Amino acid sequence: MTAQEVRLCGLLLQEHFGEVVAKVGTHLLKSGAQNLRTIIHETGISLDLVKKSLCVLVQHGTCVFSSGRKAPGSPTEYRTSCDRILRILRYPRYIYTAKTLYGDTGELIIEELLQRGDMTMSSTVKTVADRLTQNMEEGRSMDYSEVSSAFSKLVETHFLQRSTPATPAIPGTPAAPVSTAPPTPESFPDCYRVPHVTLIGRGKRRLSNEDGEDQRNAKKTKMDSETHGDEGIYWQVNFERFHLHFRDQAIISAVANKLDQTSSEIVRTMLRMSEVTTSPTATCTKPLSANEIFRSLPSSYNIPRPILDQYLTLLVDDPMEFVGKAGESGGGMYVVNLHKALANLARATLESVVQERFGSRSARIFRLLLRKRHLEQKQVEDFAMIPAKEAKDMLYTLLSQNLVQLQEIPKTPDYAPSRTFYLYTVNQLPTARMLLQNCYKTVANLIERRLFESKESKNKRTFSTGDIIESSFWSVGVTILTIVLFPCRLDSAENQVDETIFLLESYVNSTATS
Amino acid sequence: KYCSKIKKKSLSVSLCLIKELCQQFPHGITDQVIQNDMPHLEPQQRAMAINKLLSLGQLDLLRNSSGLLYRMKDMQSTSKMKGSDNQEKLVYQIIEDAGNKGIWSRDIRFKSNLPLTEINKILKNLESKKLIKAVKSVAASKKKVYMLYNLQPDRSVTGGAWYSDQDFESEFVEVLNQQCFKFLQSKAEAARDSKQSPMVQRNSSFATSHEVWKYICELGISKVDLSMDDIETILNTLIYDGKVEMTVIAAKEGTVGSVDGQMKLYRGVNPVIQPTGVVRTPCGLCPVFEDCHEGGEISPSNCIYMTEWLDF
Repeated sequence: MTAQEVRLCGLLLQEHFGEVVAKVGTHLLKSGAQNLRTIIHETGISLDLVKKSLCVLVQHGTCVFSSGRKAPGSPTEYRTSCDRILRILRYPRYIYTAKTLYGDTGELIIEELLQRGDMTMSSTVKTVADRLTQNMEEGRSMDYSEVSSAFSKLVETHFLQRSTPATPAIPGTPAAPVSTAPPTPESFPDCYRVPHVTLIGRGKRRLSNEDGEDQRNAKKTKMDSETHGDEGIYWQVNFERFHLHFRDQAIISAVANKLDQTSSEIVRTMLRMSEVTTSPTATCTKPLSANEIFRSLPSSYNIPRPILDQYLTLLVDDPMEFVGKAGESGGGMYVVNLHKALANLARATLESVVQERFGSRSARIFRLLLRKRHLEQKQVEDFAMIPAKEAKDMLYTLLSQNLVQLQEIPKTPDYAPSRTFYLYTVNQLPTARMLLQNCYKTVANLIERRLFESKESKNKRTFSTGDIIESSFWSVGVTILTIVLFPCRLDSAENQVDETIFLLESYVNSTATS
Repeated sequence: KYCSKIKKKSLSVSLCLIKELCQQFPHGITDQVIQNDMPHLEPQQRAMAINKLLSLGQLDLLRNSSGLLYRMKDMQSTSKMKGSDNQEKLVYQIIEDAGNKGIWSRDIRFKSNLPLTEINKILKNLESKKLIKAVKSVAASKKKVYMLYNLQPDRSVTGGAWYSDQDFESEFVEVLNQQCFKFLQSKAEAARDSKQSPMVQRNSSFATSHEVWKYICELGISKVDLSMDDIETILNTLIYDGKVEMTVIAAKEGTVGSVDGQMKLYRGVNPVIQPTGVVRTPCGLCPVFEDCHEGGEISPSNCIYMTEWLDF
């Protein structure tokens, strides 16, 4: 948990939940697990507000509580972690993915769940149906069953999961031994079981003359007198599943860029077939036989069997090693090398950053060092075919930015400079970590600029009609630009940086488990 | 008196005979060979004749594993050295032994044990007689190495095809780089457009280093002759640019372009990702990224790079 991560989490919490929650959240991030009294004392915020903030944080799964460490029966302690809060940055991507996979219904379901943290199935279905009905033409409404089926599909493909049921702490009874890690949703067997819910009806359209009332009622949870058989079963978005989906997408587009469309379709088929059989931390998918792949190819790709074999051989021979051969039975057993693909994508990201920031010749030196591991100054100049003076300059620039490291190999025990070899080298993992921290700082910078711009434009926004008539058309247009366009530009930039963050995070996490 | 005359005559005869023998065997002759050829010559006289020839500077004395060798000295060089004293001869010998790599003046001093001033005088003398020349080494531009006048300096001294007059020809390298890449790229495109089976497509997008070398030679953009090794160093820089990949295949001895039973194949490739998201923001390329803090001199709120970027 670095300073940059804490800063970014603070900004994200502030944007989504407000100043107070942000304050409580960042305080917990910095100080670790604390109980209620300590939080109140150290942040100086009133009991009421702290309680509400903690509720919000727990609701969204960003904060977990457990009984105190000091002794059983001591006050419960609250703890947050950066990872979950950083996910907030990726919400737009989750929603967009749901839209592409399951249409508008899926999009709204995910959006509602992300906004509320967790909800029961019945309330989700009703809210989404109402929202969809709102956007439909007069006289038409969305049936609950359609939304329910979309919900069930999301659960089947593991995009939604049940939240961990909270174990109420009854004061006085000895607490169960607290394990260090909170139980994951997957540890419960019913995680992906859709409960039997009786939901019959259609979405209600808000009538225009009820607008005023409904504005006030909109945020309150609907107090329904009906029950639907799923009380106490709350659902949340399964972020890990979305991440696996994004990872697969990245691999497929890399194959499409490097080779061609057909190869990427084959890899897509292989990944689709391994969706449920591969664990999230696996190095590669389970072996699939060429016969199975042939049968599962989409019917629009009518390629004959020998051609498929050729494509698979080409994929295996490619230096990027996206696909590997695991055996000969069934016409050849093939696996997708997930960790290797992630490492290659991370390496391409690092090279791209060096290229854009320092130029193509520095990028040549960087790639050279990645390939050859350790090289002397003279060797770098010879291999890269760059004149000595310029090569020296570029190497020192990369060294000062910590993208390249110097390894000393002494000939004599006294490390005398004239009798020591100095070798340049690049270490991929530490460099990726450093770049990841830079990305967090970049996103925080973009958010701060966006807040600044909107504050500035708020000051500009109070026009009087006299002002508008007097000032020129041009200046009004420019002001509208700053209000509307710039925040959009900054927003989309944040999403782009998030793509880089995702690749680097996945790579770093994959090396931790392997 | 008569005996000494005969002896002198026989001496000059034996001198001629030995010289003839040496010319017959330019690699050198041993004592045994002289004995076999002139069995009547006594060992003492033989030794006298050989010593005479050595002192005249017409024979070279060498030692090999089996004994002493006598070799005919090159007539031209002996005429050149007429008028030079022994020290100069020694220095000249040392420089000659260094071959086409040349030798540094300090090393000459070590080998001959002569003082520096003497060495410099001798070197100037020899240079003015056009017997040796000084060549600037590309490795250390201040260092001068001396070699015989008519020798072609070795590649390690001049830097080979990429250096002309001690300057690295970066434009030349750049041009070659682009030409090789264009050749490989067009080959790959032709293979893709041919719409054949994927294996055939990939194999036809490969070019051997020999093919690329021939193409570059035919283009005629190079003033110097480039070898296949030179072209391979250029192709390697393309690999480090991420534009080209290489495989090695086994080739039958004798196929054009194969070296030690292997051939290197190159082909143009596409990048695996588009430029990554973070470099599309000003922060990704910012030179003062480390100094930027909210509330400081350089901060996101007053960042001029962001202002420029937002203004398109």
